[in-house]
Amino acid sequence: MIGLLEIRRRKMQFALIALIVTLISYLVLMINGLGVGLNVLAGSALQNFDADAIAYSDGASVSVIRSELSQATVDAIGKTPGVTDSAPIGYVSANYRRADGKVNSAAFLGYDPGTIGEPKVTEGRALTAEDAGGLLADKSFLKATGLDVGDEVEITFRLERRAFTIVGEIDEGAFFFQPAVYVLRSTWDTLRYGARGDETPAASIVLLKGKGLPGKTGAGFEVVNKRTAFANIEGVSGQQSTVTSLRVFGYIIGALVIGVFFYVLTLQKIPQIGVLKAIGASNFFVFRQILLQVVGISAVGLAISVPLAMVSDAALRRLPDAVPIAFTTGTFVTTSALLLLMAIVGTAFSGRQVVKVDPIIALGQQQ
Amino acid sequence: MATTLAVQDLEKTYGSGEDAVRAVRHVSFETAPGEFVALVGPSGSGKTTLLAMIGGLLAPTGGRIVVNGSEVGGAAKRDLAKYRREMVGFVFQANNLLPFLTARENLLVPAALGSLDKRDANARAGRLLEELGLEKRRNALATQLSGGERQRVAIARALMNDPRLVLVDEPTASLDSARGRQVVESLIREVRARDVLGIMVTHDMAMAELADRVLEMHDGEIREHRAGKLAT
Repeated sequence: MIGLLEIRRRKMQFALIALIVTLISYLVLMINGLGVGLNVLAGSALQNFDADAIAYSDGASVSVIRSELSQATVDAIGKTPGVTDSAPIGYVSANYRRADGKVNSAAFLGYDPGTIGEPKVTEGRALTAEDAGGLLADKSFLKATGLDVGDEVEITFRLERRAFTIVGEIDEGAFFFQPAVYVLRSTWDTLRYGARGDETPAASIVLLKGKGLPGKTGAGFEVVNKRTAFANIEGVSGQQSTVTSLRVFGYIIGALVIGVFFYVLTLQKIPQIGVLKAIGASNFFVFRQILLQVVGISAVGLAISVPLAMVSDAALRRLPDAVPIAFTTGTFVTTSALLLLMAIVGTAFSGRQVVKVDPIIALGQQQ
Repeated sequence: MATTLAVQDLEKTYGSGEDAVRAVRHVSFETAPGEFVALVGPSGSGKTTLLAMIGGLLAPTGGRIVVNGSEVGGAAKRDLAKYRREMVGFVFQANNLLPFLTARENLLVPAALGSLDKRDANARAGRLLEELGLEKRRNALATQLSGGERQRVAIARALMNDPRLVLVDEPTASLDSARGRQVVESLIREVRARDVLGIMVTHDMAMAELADRVLEMHDGEIREHRAGKLAT
């Protein structure tokens, strides 16, 4: 009661603290959004694979770039005990020209229609075995090129240029920080290896369905779960540790700033705390008032910063070179809860100070 | 029930060895039920230390304080807080109201600490403000009140939880003599109306004479007991 009344009566003082809390929570939210956004760019297509596990060639260190599987190995993987379904997937990066004239690369994923490797088409139609010159493009690819389903797009790989027809739109996200584009595995084979006949690898990886598959190995392959596969995408671990560091620093700085603000306020109020304790207030009663203020101010800060982050997200999405920020409800809930928790942790200094105040100071005597 | 206080051979020594300062030495006295006692003496005579020990703010180094048959001095911190909350009403020298609260809200603070329910607390605060002539200033912030008004709010706050013991430290220190007298008279009137025990520390002999009894302290000892004007 007293704590909240103080906020009401000292609006300017607490508004300034709320502003600082807003800025810190906004910063932490944006860092978290950036973390999620980078993860989406790094491998949302991998996360979206309809698979329980993924097989890589052994010695590839769980890298899609390095992994190459022969047809015999693909067959052996499919026969591994516990595997209920499987689909070979080929990967290659090829260039395309964006609407603004810049050249970017896309992740070309080769699959076989009718298998678990087939993406879900949101517009247009799926590829058939006859669509050697067709592709399914992620919506981010269409946005970048300014093209639509039915349009032609020119792809360059090494020195070869090749025109493809966009037959369908998909919403599978990105792979290796590139928009995902699905083609037939036979098309992928010619893109990746050219006309080298049957000696070429049959796939980069194999998607697997079944229980207890991660950790299994066989002649020329190893099986990992999707989390391991994602963590091994080149650059992801470094990116994640960077974002995690920023996030942790954000939380710590938040806790420290809020903690210091309320500690200073507590120091200023020592005479009043002395009086409260002299008239019989317990340490808990006094600390509860500070806690109420911290929770109240943090809630106000979050109530401003969360919509602010949503608006920023919407604004950034409109930019042609979108900053990779993505928010989920989970991001908001987790970040808000953690910031609130850290704010409460930050008031521990104030709690210690409250305990130290001797009520004798109410009579003008030294502690 | 009228409150009885017995102080027996009370001692308070700060520090130890050669640096020891004996602030209160072998102080003993008893009060009659409903009595208003003034503690006078020069600065450093130990009167505020004695008041702090009776109020459970300071632990004695020797002797006993017995209020209504229960010993106060040796109680644990939590029990002392309960004793101060339920048995004692304090009026401090600098009134020490919470500046961001109104007069009425300052009165509700002790109620929030105790077991008084909200409706009863509001009614009681209203009555006390009226009795002390502050009903028109009930919604004024503590910082908007005059010195005399603040001290009267402090008296009302001290009476809020229906204490058995009202302890007052230099209530007129920041007031001119006319206002000081008004405040002390209000205080004594309210204390006597409730049949509770009042102890007031003051250096102002004119104010002390308003009490039932005056205890004069020097060098930590009570040198003189005499009746005040109210007793005569």
